[in-house]
Amino acid sequence: MTQEVENLIKKDYAAGFHTAIESDTLPPGLNEDVVRFISAKKEEPEWMLEWRLKAYRAWLEMKEPTWAEVQYPEIDFQAISYYSAPKSMADRPQSLDEVDPELLATYEKLGIPLHEQEMLAGVAVDAVFDSVSVVTTFRAKLEEAGVIFCPISEAVRRFPELVKKYLGTVVPQKDNYYAALNSAVFSDGSFVYIPKGVRCPMELSTYFRINEMNTGQFERTLIIADEGSHVSYLEGCTAPQRDENQLHAAVVELIALDNAQIKYSTVQNWYPGDAEGKGGIYNFVTKRGVAHTNAKISWTQVETGSAVTWKYPSCILKGDNSVGEFYSVALTNNFQQADTGTKMIHLGKNTRSTIVAKGISAGRSNSSYRGLVRINPGAEGARNYTQCDSLLIGDRCGAHTFPYIESKNPSAVIEHEATTSKVSDDQLFLCQQRGLDAEKAVSMIVNGFCREVFKELPMEFAVEAGKLLEVSLEGSVG
Amino acid sequence: MSDFQQQALTLAAEQRSPEWLAELRARGADVWSAAAWPTRKTEQWKYTPLLALQNDNPARWPSTDSCAWQQAIDPIELDATRLVFVNGHFCPEHSSELPAGVVRFAEADAGQRELIARHLGTVIDTSRHLFGALSDAWTADGILLHVPRGQVLDKPVYILNVATPEAQPAASNQRVLVVLEDNSQAELIEHYVSGSEQQNLFVNSHTEVIVGNNAQIQHYRINLEQEDLLHVGGVHVDLHRDARFLGFTLAQGSRLKRIDYHVNHRGEGAHLGLNGVYLPRNKQLIDYHTNVEHRVPHCTTDEVFRGIIGDSAKAVFNGRIHIHPHAQKTLAELSNRNLLTSPTAEINTKPELEIYADDVRCAHGATIAQLDETSVFYLQSRGVTRAEAVRMLSFGFINELLNQVPEQAIQDYLRPRLTALFGQQGGELGQMSYD
Repeated sequence: MTQEVENLIKKDYAAGFHTAIESDTLPPGLNEDVVRFISAKKEEPEWMLEWRLKAYRAWLEMKEPTWAEVQYPEIDFQAISYYSAPKSMADRPQSLDEVDPELLATYEKLGIPLHEQEMLAGVAVDAVFDSVSVVTTFRAKLEEAGVIFCPISEAVRRFPELVKKYLGTVVPQKDNYYAALNSAVFSDGSFVYIPKGVRCPMELSTYFRINEMNTGQFERTLIIADEGSHVSYLEGCTAPQRDENQLHAAVVELIALDNAQIKYSTVQNWYPGDAEGKGGIYNFVTKRGVAHTNAKISWTQVETGSAVTWKYPSCILKGDNSVGEFYSVALTNNFQQADTGTKMIHLGKNTRSTIVAKGISAGRSNSSYRGLVRINPGAEGARNYTQCDSLLIGDRCGAHTFPYIESKNPSAVIEHEATTSKVSDDQLFLCQQRGLDAEKAVSMIVNGFCREVFKELPMEFAVEAGKLLEVSLEGSVG
Repeated sequence: MSDFQQQALTLAAEQRSPEWLAELRARGADVWSAAAWPTRKTEQWKYTPLLALQNDNPARWPSTDSCAWQQAIDPIELDATRLVFVNGHFCPEHSSELPAGVVRFAEADAGQRELIARHLGTVIDTSRHLFGALSDAWTADGILLHVPRGQVLDKPVYILNVATPEAQPAASNQRVLVVLEDNSQAELIEHYVSGSEQQNLFVNSHTEVIVGNNAQIQHYRINLEQEDLLHVGGVHVDLHRDARFLGFTLAQGSRLKRIDYHVNHRGEGAHLGLNGVYLPRNKQLIDYHTNVEHRVPHCTTDEVFRGIIGDSAKAVFNGRIHIHPHAQKTLAELSNRNLLTSPTAEINTKPELEIYADDVRCAHGATIAQLDETSVFYLQSRGVTRAEAVRMLSFGFINELLNQVPEQAIQDYLRPRLTALFGQQGGELGQMSYD
C-alpha cells in the first residue's frame, strides 16, 4: 500500500466536528414524566400526550429485536437523554440574520445551502438542528401552492385533524420496538401535506443533524399526498465525530392517496465509527408508505454512514394498480454493519413493485439485504422484480442476502435475482492500463455498479452520492 | 418440552437396541429434550407448522411385522441391490442378498460396528436439525453402505421404504450411513412410497453421507408417499477433497414432507450438484430446506429446484449458501422456479446467500409465475387443446430436470407417473387462468 493510500485511510471523518452551543437538555433516563415533559415542551394537546403514553406503555412490554444480522453492545435506554433543543430557541429567530452564527457556521461546514438556498435549485430547507426545527424557508411560496411543510410539532398544533387522522396509521405505535420508542418520545420532524391535484412546486428537503452529546434523535416524518398530487422529498444527514454510540430511531410514514405520487430520497452519511469500529451512530429506522389506487411510492436511498443500520423502507400496495419502488445503495467499510432492504406487500390488483438493491462491503464490514415480497390472495396480476447485487472489496468483509418471497396468487409473477462478486481483476486491469490508479478505478467501477440507483436520485443528490461513495471507499483498496 | 418431545423419548425407551449404539442414542435424546419445540417464530420452521405432528401424536411403533402390502406398489425396475422396509420393518423376503459393504446395523460385524460407531452422527449437525437429534435417539437399526478405497460398487443400492396403514398413529425411523473411502464410487436410491390409503404414519428418515477424497456418489431420494403421512427427513453430506455428490430429489404427496439437504464442502475441489422437484397438490405441504456450507476454497455448487403447486397446497423452499471466510474461488449457483396453478396455492421461497469471502462468484435466482401465455397460444395455434397444451408445458417444466437424471430406470419410473399427475391436473389448470 502506498503512503498516500495509508494517509487516506487514516483521514478523519470530514464532517466530524462538534459545535458548542448551549442547549436545554433533559437529564438521561426515560419514564412517563419524560414523555410528559416532551409533550409539554412542545405545547401539545391532550390527545397527543395520550398517544405518546400509549406508545410508551406498549414499548415497556416489548423486546428489542435480535433477528437482524448485526451485533452491537446492549443499549442502555436509561442512559440516553430524550430531549435537547438549541438554547437560542427561546427567542426564535425571525430571519437568517438572527440565527446563532455558530449554527450557521455548522451548516456552512456541512455545505447546507441555508444562506444561498433561495438561489439554489428551488430547494426549501427545514433544518432540524438536534430536536427543534430552527428555521424554515420558502414557506410562503409553498403556502401559495397550498402545500403544508412544517415541523411536525407545529402541525400537531395547527393541523390537529390531519395529524390525528394519519399519524400512526402506517406505522402503528406497537409496530416494532423502535417505532414504539419513537412514538413515545419523538422530538420533532417534518410534516408535509400536498392538497388534491397539486404538484409540489419544488423539491422538499430536510437536513438532519445530531449534535448534542448523548442525545438520541427521534424524528417523526409524516407525508400525506392527497388525491392526484405529487411530491419529491429529500433527506440527508451527517453527524459530528465522537466516541459514544448514538441512537437514532426515526419513523417515516408516507400516505399516497388515489393517483398520488411520493418520491422519497435519502442520503445517509452519519458518523460510521472510526477504523477500529469505535463509536458511530446506531440507526434503527422504520419507514413505510401506503399506496392507494393508482398511487406510486418510490424510495431511493444511499446509505454510507452509521455503525449499525437497521432499515427497511416498505410499501403497502393497498390500492389497485399501485406501484412501489425501492432503489438502494448500501456501502459499508471498516466495522460498519448494515441490515437493510424492503418489504413490498401486494394487496391490490395489478400492483407492481421493483426492487434494486446494491450492497458494497469493504474492510471488515457486513452488509445484508433482507427483503420481503408478499403477494396476498387478492393481488390479481401482481408483478415484482427484484435484483440485489453485492460487491465485495477485501476478504474480511461479508455480504448476505435474505429475500423472503411469499405468493398466494397464481396470476402473480415474481422474479428475484441476486449475485455476489468482487471487483473483477479484468476491469481493474483495463482501467489501470489506461492510466487510472487503482483507487480511481475501483471508485469508477463502484459508481458504475450503483448507476441504476443513482439515476433515480434528484440531481443534487446524485452528485453528492457519487462523491460520498468515493470518500467512504477511500483506503479500502491497496 | 412439548408433548411430542416427551412422547418420542418414551418411544425411544421402548426400543430394543444394541449396546454399542447406546451412546449415540443418549446424546440424541439429550439434544432432543433440551431443544425448544419449533413454532412460527422459529426461522427454520416459519412456514411449516408441526401442529399435525402434535395432533396425531404417534405414540407407538408400527404394529406391522408382516411384509405384505395391500395396494399395488411398484418398485423401480432396475438391476440393484434391493433392501425393502415396510413401516420401518426389514423384509428379507423382498430384499436381495446383500453384497459386502452393505449391511444392516443389527447384523454388522465387529469391524463394521467400529466403522459405524466412528462415523454415525458425525455429519448431522443436531443443533440445526432437531429431527436429526430425534433420529439419533431412535436409531436401533439402520443401513451401512461402505465402499473401500478405490472400489466402485457394481450395482446401485436401492432402499425401498413402503408405508402401509396403521390402526393407530405410529412412528417409524430410518437411518442410512454411507461411507465412501478415497477414489471410490457408488449409487444410492432411497425410495419412499405408499398406497393411497390412510397410513397414520410419521416417518423420520436421515441419511449421512461421507464422501472421501476424489470419491463420487450418485444419490436419489424419491418421496412419493401419498396422503396422510408425515415425513421429516434429511440428507447430510460431508465432501472431502475433489469429492462429488450428485443428487436428485423429488417429492409429491402426503400431508407434510419436510426434507433438509445439508452439505459441507470440507475439502478443496469438492462439487455438489443437486436437482430437486416438488409437486404438492390438494392440501399437501412440501418443504425443502437446503444448506450448503462452503468451508474451503475452490468448491462448486450447482443447485436447481423447481416446483408446481396446485389446489390448496403449499410449498416452502429455503436454499442457503454459506461461504466461510477464506473459501475463495467458490462458484455457487442456486435457482428456484415455481409455478402456481390455483388461486389457493401458496409458495414461500427464500434463497439465502451468506458470504464472507471476496473472490467468489455466487448467484441465486427465484421466480414465481404461471405458464407463459404465448407458449400456450403457440401450441393452441398448432391444434393442441388448451388443457393439453397446459399439461405439456407443465410436464416440460419438470422434464428438463428429469432428463438430466443419469439413471434411465428412474426416468422410466417417474415419467409416466408425472404425466398421469399432470393429466389429472390439466383440465383444472386450463379452466383456471386461461379462460
